[in-house]
Amino acid sequence: MEDRVFSSVHSTVFKESESLEGKCDKIEGYDFNQGVNYPKLLRSMLTTGFQASNLGEAIDVVNQMLDWRLADETVVAEDCSEEEKNPSYRESVRCKIFLGFTSNLVSSGVRDTIRYLVQHHMVDVIVTTTGGVEEDLIKCLAPTYKGDFSLPGAYLRSKGLNRIGNLLVPNDNYCKFEDWIIPIFDEMLKEQKEENVLWTPSKLLSRLGKEINNESSYLYWAYKMNIPVFCPGLTDGSLGDMLYFHSFRTSGLIIDVVQDIRAMNSEAVHATPRKTGMIILGGGLPKHHICNANMMRNGADYAVFINTGQEFDGSDSGARPDEAVSWGKIRGSAKTVKVYCDATIAFPLLVAETFASKRDQTCEPKI
Amino acid sequence: MSDEEHHFESSDAGASKTYPQQAGNIRKGGHIVIKGRPCKVVEVSTSKTGKHGHAKCHFVAIDIFNSKKLEDIVPSSHNCDVPHVTRTDYQLIDISEDGFVSLLTDSGGTKDDLKLPTDDSLAALMKSGFEEGKDVVVSVMCSMGEEQICAVKEVGGGK
Repeated sequence: MEDRVFSSVHSTVFKESESLEGKCDKIEGYDFNQGVNYPKLLRSMLTTGFQASNLGEAIDVVNQMLDWRLADETVVAEDCSEEEKNPSYRESVRCKIFLGFTSNLVSSGVRDTIRYLVQHHMVDVIVTTTGGVEEDLIKCLAPTYKGDFSLPGAYLRSKGLNRIGNLLVPNDNYCKFEDWIIPIFDEMLKEQKEENVLWTPSKLLSRLGKEINNESSYLYWAYKMNIPVFCPGLTDGSLGDMLYFHSFRTSGLIIDVVQDIRAMNSEAVHATPRKTGMIILGGGLPKHHICNANMMRNGADYAVFINTGQEFDGSDSGARPDEAVSWGKIRGSAKTVKVYCDATIAFPLLVAETFASKRDQTCEPKI
Repeated sequence: MSDEEHHFESSDAGASKTYPQQAGNIRKGGHIVIKGRPCKVVEVSTSKTGKHGHAKCHFVAIDIFNSKKLEDIVPSSHNCDVPHVTRTDYQLIDISEDGFVSLLTDSGGTKDDLKLPTDDSLAALMKSGFEEGKDVVVSVMCSMGEEQICAVKEVGGGK
């Protein structure tokens, strides 16, 4: 009798499991006995589990974005042009990459990673918030410093220091920004009146990239590489404050958002026959704006989200790629990953294993 | 901020209409030029240096002649134009049919280039006082080349 109870308990606790051999990857972390080899360390993340695996998958998806060519599509669309049937043309058609990020990331050192991508035309469209623009420009005028999350607010205010997480931006930096940008607005207003220029946020940002003329700025490279930077919420930041004050001094500057939504959505709609990929750091406006534009072409083909948002509150910021699939913002057949991680950790590592390593491979071998 | 040029001549005819003053020093009740109009400041608020750049003064003011509300925001270290505002009293001699008034100047001559004030109650007070034969004294406000009757007093009266 006891034997029967025992074997019943035994078979409950030790329920025979389905074999995962060959179906799933084994979990295996990096072995430091092989020395500190960073590329191998990063590659080991795929089998390390949790967010390391998600980052590993994100690296895979981005590499797929970079490797895809129209020639990979064996089925040639019936109604496509003669040019599209040409094999060498098909070899040249690549994925169109939308990069979105929030302003805190530009305040951080991730700005320099972004600048690298723009400098080498590795992304096609950028969407960010106002802070994402001004923090890049201000860094060319004066630096941002490392502080601490725990610095008391009232104390910092008395010292004229603004805290962004554990970063500090002195008020003086914004004064320099004001002194730099107001004359540019004056020029732009003049051109609006005399040459009938109708400014849009993206045209303004291209102009600011030209005016800053500094190789450490991603806006400068976006201007040089003709990469559009969209910022539909242009008034929501220090730049918006500058527009506000400028309107008292000399009123009349008009900035048209309608032209820009045409341009942004056109980037997605007219991307075909190219595939589209989204790399979005953080949530908020950049995340939604890029997804929404891709909805216009029935969904993106690749999506990588790196953010710390959670979906339990129903926010768009915290929503997983699968929610976007329900809206038609991402295709059902798309390759998607969400990495739950602060982008200051995940993004430089991702770029190391994708954009940067591919470029290093194609560049002149180092002596 | 006004684009007015400053003429710093000392003679009466070319006396400067405005003088510069740092925005941070202009107080409520003072005067300021906004969009070329002389105004009396009814509200000043200062936003300290911050994300919006330099410290700024936000002025809400009323045009002293047409009572329109105007506002301006100026960096507090910038100079603003402050209008010279003078008030001179004249005795009312006559009110003509076309609304012009004739005033007695200090030197004994007449000043005939002013019309009745646009403010109906002031104009009515002038007319009634004048018709009753009372001595009516008007205050004329003058600023930036513009003049207007701003107050009316009855001094002594006909019985």
